[in-house]
Amino acid sequence: PEMSIQLPNGQPPGKPELIRCRSPEKETFTCWWKPSSDGGLPTNYTLFYKREKDEFYSECPDYITGGPNSCYFDRKHTSIWTMYNMTVKATNVLGSNVSLAFFVDVALIVQPNPPINLTLEWVDRDSGKYLLLNWAAPPRADVRSGWLTLEYELRIKPEKGQEWENISVGPGTKYKLFSLNAGVKYVAQVRCRSNKEWSQWSSESYAQIPKEFRLKDIMVWIF
Amino acid sequence: CPNGSDNCQVSLGDLFDRAVKLSHYIHSLSAEMFNEFDERYAQGRGFIEKAINSCHTATLPTPDDKEEVQRIHHGDLINIVLSMLRSWNDPLLHLASEVQRIKEAPDTILWKAVEIEEQNKQLLEGMQNILGRVHSNDLGNEVYSTWSGLPSLQLADEDSRLFAFYNLLHCLHRDANKIDNYLKVLKCRLIHNSNC
Repeated sequence: PEMSIQLPNGQPPGKPELIRCRSPEKETFTCWWKPSSDGGLPTNYTLFYKREKDEFYSECPDYITGGPNSCYFDRKHTSIWTMYNMTVKATNVLGSNVSLAFFVDVALIVQPNPPINLTLEWVDRDSGKYLLLNWAAPPRADVRSGWLTLEYELRIKPEKGQEWENISVGPGTKYKLFSLNAGVKYVAQVRCRSNKEWSQWSSESYAQIPKEFRLKDIMVWIF
Repeated sequence: CPNGSDNCQVSLGDLFDRAVKLSHYIHSLSAEMFNEFDERYAQGRGFIEKAINSCHTATLPTPDDKEEVQRIHHGDLINIVLSMLRSWNDPLLHLASEVQRIKEAPDTILWKAVEIEEQNKQLLEGMQNILGRVHSNDLGNEVYSTWSGLPSLQLADEDSRLFAFYNLLHCLHRDANKIDNYLKVLKCRLIHNSNC
């Protein structure tokens, strides 16, 4: 009688690669990996990590929240100022392959979400005319307690212009812009950073600067 | 102080402003110094893996997440910062002199080491002042971690010696980040009533 062993077509998975970790607010963080070749077979990924003081490796607490090929660490699993040593293991029915170790300290991977609610308001006072820009820190970033300190950068241009003008603002959340051109519509955005990586730019906000009318003209009308 | 009067003091808010500016400055210098060293001397040597669990300040009981920081009384948090600053006095002194001997060390690393050493002393003084102001009963226990890494900065083997520098700069960067974060929390808590 003939014996035969049915081998599935395909190969063991290639080496996955951890590519990036990011913390938006220094309280939670997410790491992503590149899945590599799956050998033509359904492949399962597991992430293991060990912090400096840990004796053993633990498995990723949450593969769902951060989307595909990611691991999310909630507050309970996030420590700062300690090195996380991580590896990802790819497994299919023919075998498994482990990524190179990836080292990360949450204090050094902070990239905040963009600021929100950017408003542009034209202020016309005797003391001067200016555009007042206001915005708010990204939601969930705890700036009130001082846990996260943000600095901001604005950029503005005429709606039809090509070149942005960038303005660093420091930690404040409002800014007055003088000497804009009358009758022009401007577009502005704002972004923030903790001490390293800038957030994405916020969505665009617009302001129409009114056409100038001079005091003289008014006097002419009165007469 | 006019007429040498005792009540003319810098306000606590101003003291904190200065302290936070200093700690922010020290942090950015140590970040730049670590990155420059890392790019220049550490590529492909696997230093980061070896640098795990090897900071001399690791024995200090420092909080490592937000909730833990918030649970700690401000007097204790100031004392933790003081212990960390004291623990760096000695290694920074040696770093500033030993770094001169690294082959082709760029000037930017050299002056930063000297500058950080100087600013760390300033910050220590400022924090003692702050502690005396907010917590006058407890004038600070003299707790600190001793550093015994000088021989490793003088090793003959280049790879081992460069690793010793790498490790020290890595720990400095981390502790400077920690101190800066603690001080910003303390400032918001004590000066702005936790509403920064």
